[in-house]
Amino acid sequence: MEQKKRLFKNISLVEFKRQRVLIIWSVFFVAYGLVFCYAPLVGWLMAFQNYKPKDGILHSAFIGMTKFKMLFSDATFIRVIRNTLAMGVINLVATFVMAILFAILLNEIRLKGSKKVIQTISYLPHFLSWIIVTGILHDALSGSGIVNELLTKFHLVSQPINFFAHEEYFWPIVAFANVWKETGWNAIIYLAAITAIDPSLYEAAAIDGAGRWNKIKYVTLPGIKPTIIILLIMNIGNVLNAGFEIQYLLGNGLVQQVSQTIDIYVLKWGISQMDYSLGTAAGIFKSAVSIVLILICNTIAKRHGEERLF
Amino acid sequence: MKKKVVSVILATCMLGTVLAGCGKSSGGDSTGSTDSAASGSEESGSSDGSVKEFTAFFAVPGSEINDDNEIQQILAEKTGVKVKETWLTGQTAEEAIGTLIAGGEYPDFVDAGDGSVQMYEAGALVALDDYLDKYPNIKEFFTDQEWDSLRQSDGKIYWIPQFSNIYGEERECTHNDEAFWIQARVLEWAGYPEVKTMDQYFDLIESYYAANPTMEDGTAIIPYTILCDDWRYFCLENAPQFLDGYPNDGSVIVDPNTKKIIDYNTTDTAVKYFKKLNEEYKKGIVDPESFTQTYDEYIAKLSTGRVLGMIDQWWDFSNQTEDAIKSAGLDAQGCQYIPLPITIDESVKNQWHNSGGIVHVSSGLAITTSCKDVEGALQFVNDLLDQENHNLRFWGVEGTDYNVGDDGMFGRTPEMRKIVADTAYKASHLCTYSYFPQWTGTSRDGKNAMKPEGQEAEFYDGLSDSVRKCFEAYGAKTYVEMLGTSPAPGAWYPMYTFSQTMTTSTPGGTAWNLMGECKHQYLPKVVMAEDFDAGWAEYMEAYNACKPEDFLSEMQTELDRRIAEAAKYSN
Repeated sequence: MEQKKRLFKNISLVEFKRQRVLIIWSVFFVAYGLVFCYAPLVGWLMAFQNYKPKDGILHSAFIGMTKFKMLFSDATFIRVIRNTLAMGVINLVATFVMAILFAILLNEIRLKGSKKVIQTISYLPHFLSWIIVTGILHDALSGSGIVNELLTKFHLVSQPINFFAHEEYFWPIVAFANVWKETGWNAIIYLAAITAIDPSLYEAAAIDGAGRWNKIKYVTLPGIKPTIIILLIMNIGNVLNAGFEIQYLLGNGLVQQVSQTIDIYVLKWGISQMDYSLGTAAGIFKSAVSIVLILICNTIAKRHGEERLF
Repeated sequence: MKKKVVSVILATCMLGTVLAGCGKSSGGDSTGSTDSAASGSEESGSSDGSVKEFTAFFAVPGSEINDDNEIQQILAEKTGVKVKETWLTGQTAEEAIGTLIAGGEYPDFVDAGDGSVQMYEAGALVALDDYLDKYPNIKEFFTDQEWDSLRQSDGKIYWIPQFSNIYGEERECTHNDEAFWIQARVLEWAGYPEVKTMDQYFDLIESYYAANPTMEDGTAIIPYTILCDDWRYFCLENAPQFLDGYPNDGSVIVDPNTKKIIDYNTTDTAVKYFKKLNEEYKKGIVDPESFTQTYDEYIAKLSTGRVLGMIDQWWDFSNQTEDAIKSAGLDAQGCQYIPLPITIDESVKNQWHNSGGIVHVSSGLAITTSCKDVEGALQFVNDLLDQENHNLRFWGVEGTDYNVGDDGMFGRTPEMRKIVADTAYKASHLCTYSYFPQWTGTSRDGKNAMKPEGQEAEFYDGLSDSVRKCFEAYGAKTYVEMLGTSPAPGAWYPMYTFSQTMTTSTPGGTAWNLMGECKHQYLPKVVMAEDFDAGWAEYMEAYNACKPEDFLSEMQTELDRRIAEAAKYSN
């Protein structure tokens, strides 16, 4: 209460006038958030209705939690949660570790020119769409593709491996594709954080007799620790966004048990089978889990006195 | 310093996630805008001589024509209407229609394919009953019985099926449907033997492959491939119905004597068929990439002439591959496909080809509630069925695309045939309005065929030498004669027009959906299994868990309904 009063007192008319430009600007962003992020949430009502497009949200019958019950009694949904979580975690770990490693290695290159070239080349795949990346993968991993050609040439296998016909290869392929596509791009943030480290720290470390390895260990890594933690928290919230395009485009009947994610499930039942209520329910579940994950991570970070989101 | 950088990064990322969050959530929730839905039509509404523009969406893949297409322009001058057609790209029909309904904005014309009933249930379509009598060409398109078969649960008609409607005498040269196909060169090499069973078919392919493992240019031959991409997996799964000598009811077999539904997935023939595929897979005859290839990869394989044989529907592969094979000069090597009358046993008569038109009651051209000028739209459909306009659509411009002989028969010169097959010419000159109602059979002049592919002399002259030689060896003149033909078995035919409309709102529809998923997963496994019997047992267990009996009983109910419905008209 006390605090609130002070807050209001602080914003005097004069101050309001002085900051009017900032306030006017922020109105746009608040409006944007309301219109595009909060207004669509009205659609969540559908999950609690037996939604029929003809009747709309206003006239469809409410059925409570029936759709959620349907969802969790469906073995397929349980399976897609497993797939999504598994691929999400694998992707997170793989891309996260690779990006940090790559940034540190890149930072150790002394020649400015080659550093720039490597950086540019490595982040270019980020700009390819998934349809192109899956096309490349499909070609490279096909029976007559480059991978099988190399494997047979070096007599590692006698018969070309049909990579997309085996369930056990699917998650690694997805993780590899993610790493290949995003490592360079993700490394940019860490590189920026590394540049922000005070050079005098490196000098001091050198005087204390630190070699390259020790400089990385005692200066670079601690220097980018806040960035790492913040990005980790935010990425964990995204674990359930394990992807849609890549699984949708690379999947086939043989691997559907491990390839389908929540997003594909929503598309299949929500849009294709036109059970919009069920699709919305699955979407709500996904959002709820993501929020919980972020809260947990944030609390842990707070407890350890690290950087955090809120 | 450190703080500052981190906060800048943070701000950027926050903005990023906010944007991403919005993008993601709007997918499922976009119905919020339904009420404010404006019309999706671009029609200008001015009726004083200017051309009215309509929009159309067809939930099938298709190629768009150029905006300045010549025949479209001629038709626009004659009818005062031009329709901008768009097609399915990179989605399934259900996804596209589901998205349309969720958005609540529609094009003027739509063919929603399997989503037609959903469009009707969403109240997106205009009932046509009050209009039909005003448009003689449309009214004439179906008999009263056929019109009645199109009525939905509220007793009204919402769509007009466009295809397989025969005017006058039937004229069919191409077998547009499913078959075991084999390259002409394989038959020629073996001296045009009789191939009537699956065993003979694979023996022939095996011995040809043993003698000719590569193409003339050295690329390896693929003896037999199976398309299994998404909904196109019928190339793998529905052959057992044909092998038992039944026609394409699509999702079930109907016993014409007992009028009972039979599940073709579990018959002895099905076991034999998949066992054969399993053996051929182990022998290396079946393409190991069969079950992971995409449709595009499959078409590319066929187009290079490397594939000796496969099961497919003519419409599914011929459009792209026939022209590609011809333009690569592979027709001279005999790389075009010939259908074979194959059944499980020589004593079984095949029904791969059925004569007579089929009204595909499950979908058709519809007009949506977004259309502001329903009468104008229907007038255009009516005009398109005028003989003169119909000729323009399918034959083209007289003198440019076809000549009229002294006897009044239409024909093409070899140059004309070549150019009408050219993709660029198709886009710039030809405009068939291919998903608007159209006739097959005989033209109103009583002589010509409604479409060039039905014109016997023109069809025969247009064949490549290798195909003609093959036809001659079997005493056939057309693809249809290669298989022989049978009339449709009964008024219920084909049952797939019902199973296509099933949704997960009924137990049968749910079972049908699960069965599809189960077959998608297990049929490839069965074919690739080390131990076929164990693989089959595993498949059957998973299959029975889908409760196929729910599906079959709903099919039986529909069959009985259709038979009872037809009985009303025969009295």
